[in-house]
Amino acid sequence: MAESPEEVAVLVQRVVKDIRNAFARNPHIDEIGLIPCPEARYNRSPIVLVENKLGVESWCVKFLLPYVHNKLLLYRQRKQWLNKDELIDITCTLLLLNPDFTTAWNVRKELILSGTLNPLKDLHLGKLALTKFPKSPETWIHRRWVLQHLIQENSLPTLVNKGNLGAAPVERIHRLVQEEMNVCSEAAGRYPSNYNAWSHRIWVLQHVGKLTVKILLDELTSTKYWVSMHVSDHSGFHYRQFLLKSLISRTVNDDNTPVQNQMVNEQNPSLQKEEEGEGAEAACAEEQSVDIPHYLEEELDLCTDLIDTYPGHETLWCHRRRVFYLQHHLGNRLPLVSAVVSSVDSSDEAFQNSHPCPATRHMAQAMDVDGLSESSSKQGYTQETKRLKRGPLQDCIGPETEYRFIDKVLSTCRDADQARFATAYRKWLVTFLGQ
Amino acid sequence: MRLYSLSVLYKGEPRVQLLKAAYDVSTFSFFQRSRSGPARRCRHQDKPCRGLTAAPVLTGVQEFMTFTSQLIVERSQLGSRASVKEQEYLCHVYVRSDGLAGVVIADNEYPQRVCFTLLDKVLDEFSRQVSRAEWPSGSPGTISYAALDGYLSKYQNPRDADPMTRVQAELDETKIILHNTMESLLERGEKLDDLVSKSEVLGAQSKAFYKTARKQNSCCAVM
Repeated sequence: MAESPEEVAVLVQRVVKDIRNAFARNPHIDEIGLIPCPEARYNRSPIVLVENKLGVESWCVKFLLPYVHNKLLLYRQRKQWLNKDELIDITCTLLLLNPDFTTAWNVRKELILSGTLNPLKDLHLGKLALTKFPKSPETWIHRRWVLQHLIQENSLPTLVNKGNLGAAPVERIHRLVQEEMNVCSEAAGRYPSNYNAWSHRIWVLQHVGKLTVKILLDELTSTKYWVSMHVSDHSGFHYRQFLLKSLISRTVNDDNTPVQNQMVNEQNPSLQKEEEGEGAEAACAEEQSVDIPHYLEEELDLCTDLIDTYPGHETLWCHRRRVFYLQHHLGNRLPLVSAVVSSVDSSDEAFQNSHPCPATRHMAQAMDVDGLSESSSKQGYTQETKRLKRGPLQDCIGPETEYRFIDKVLSTCRDADQARFATAYRKWLVTFLGQ
Repeated sequence: MRLYSLSVLYKGEPRVQLLKAAYDVSTFSFFQRSRSGPARRCRHQDKPCRGLTAAPVLTGVQEFMTFTSQLIVERSQLGSRASVKEQEYLCHVYVRSDGLAGVVIADNEYPQRVCFTLLDKVLDEFSRQVSRAEWPSGSPGTISYAALDGYLSKYQNPRDADPMTRVQAELDETKIILHNTMESLLERGEKLDDLVSKSEVLGAQSKAFYKTARKQNSCCAVM
């Protein structure tokens, strides 16, 4: 089906116009796609609009794409002029076919900066492109540029703010963040372990959402079901690790005091009952009290549940390592069990360095009539016990539960991969704790 | 973690009959799902019948799942269970010794054990509701068994459908054959591409779709 250059030009003009009309007729288009169609039919347009889905028949792409691509490059090289409307239409067509064409996004950046193009349109265009190309790096990159532009604009009363000067900028930011969470979630569903989508999600929380405790907790809740149904998605679980780590940084300082709280744990004996050290945060005016150890414990429970239900997924075991590490790390930094503090005077010899006391043993000591021997007999693995006594400090969760879990998995699983992962996890634990 | 199709077939000689099927293609992009393609051109183009036939042609991923299910049953032995891996899909098949067969097409996260539980259950129920006499010549239009859609939907969340506490003692998992590609089911020298292009079941659009899909697996393909 040889097309002469004139025919191609006519075809392209028609297609670009059809795409523009499709958007004008239907502002609710939510998906684009390629229709496998080797031959043109009866001189009909290759643009198909069905139920909010915009399709391009595949036969026309080999004519369309090189032509518009070339046209844009000629404009860039100042060999051919295109007015603003033409630029918008052409870049739109190009990006729906190939969203990794950086030049097209850059032309749109210029149009936004000159005030000709509403940045929200680019967010919409990007969202559409992602329905077909969920990984497209350039789309995500451009998205971040637009968001940054919007944030800066948000602090200035301009026409972009829809004429509402300073009207609830917090609300606008919140809506922007929620929309980004949706876009990321959809893209993550369209391609397994979609690193670009999940990285973008993290970026949005950091730069638009400002990593507030509320948003971190909301995200933890809202992604729980998703990861349970995508048990091999490393990026999804990594996102949860990021949320937990961020929560820890928001609520615990390096010198072991809770953020924004001047009270030191020693002053509060009521903490003795709880294994969490966050009670002191109740005094925090702005940040709600965050029970970090509780969230970590819940995460570990989630991990256990998924490992038991869906054997043989390495992602879950990797996640377990990360969560255990966070618990362990936290246990070392916070004087978790403040029973420790009250027994400080009585067990000086147990201090091996200036760090806070290991929670388990000393708590047992404080409660215990018989002393040290009692607590060590509670640990079932003598070889590990020796390692533990030499090793870094343990929190109440402790590796014993982990070893029991590993044993249980090994004795009941019928999946060869599961057994392999459990054994590897045990090796990792032993090495990690031995340091 | 998803199920895409659930089919009941009969492994007859020489042909495999599709008896009933249910599909969930909601996670595929819209234009890949089954849709009516253009009506085929009538061969009497010079006569006044407008050159169009009446029946629309179904194309898309649904048709492919049918093709795949039939092919797998064709190449599996009576009294066998197997899981066939193809790209990011896993096709689980159970062919009973009486010739009744079931195929579940799932992704690679969906637990295999639950698929075989589902197949056992469905084939058992089907064989009780649909008389054996109907199997050798049956088709989705003639067979009355309506439970497949419900099962497919219910089993999308394996936890809702199958309480994990029930251990299937009878099902010895070591007897499930694992094929790493569809090609390993084929005869020596047979190519999947050839079977697709020779197939009478797939329309021209589907064959084009297959070629496109193959190309799109490369990371830089735009079209």
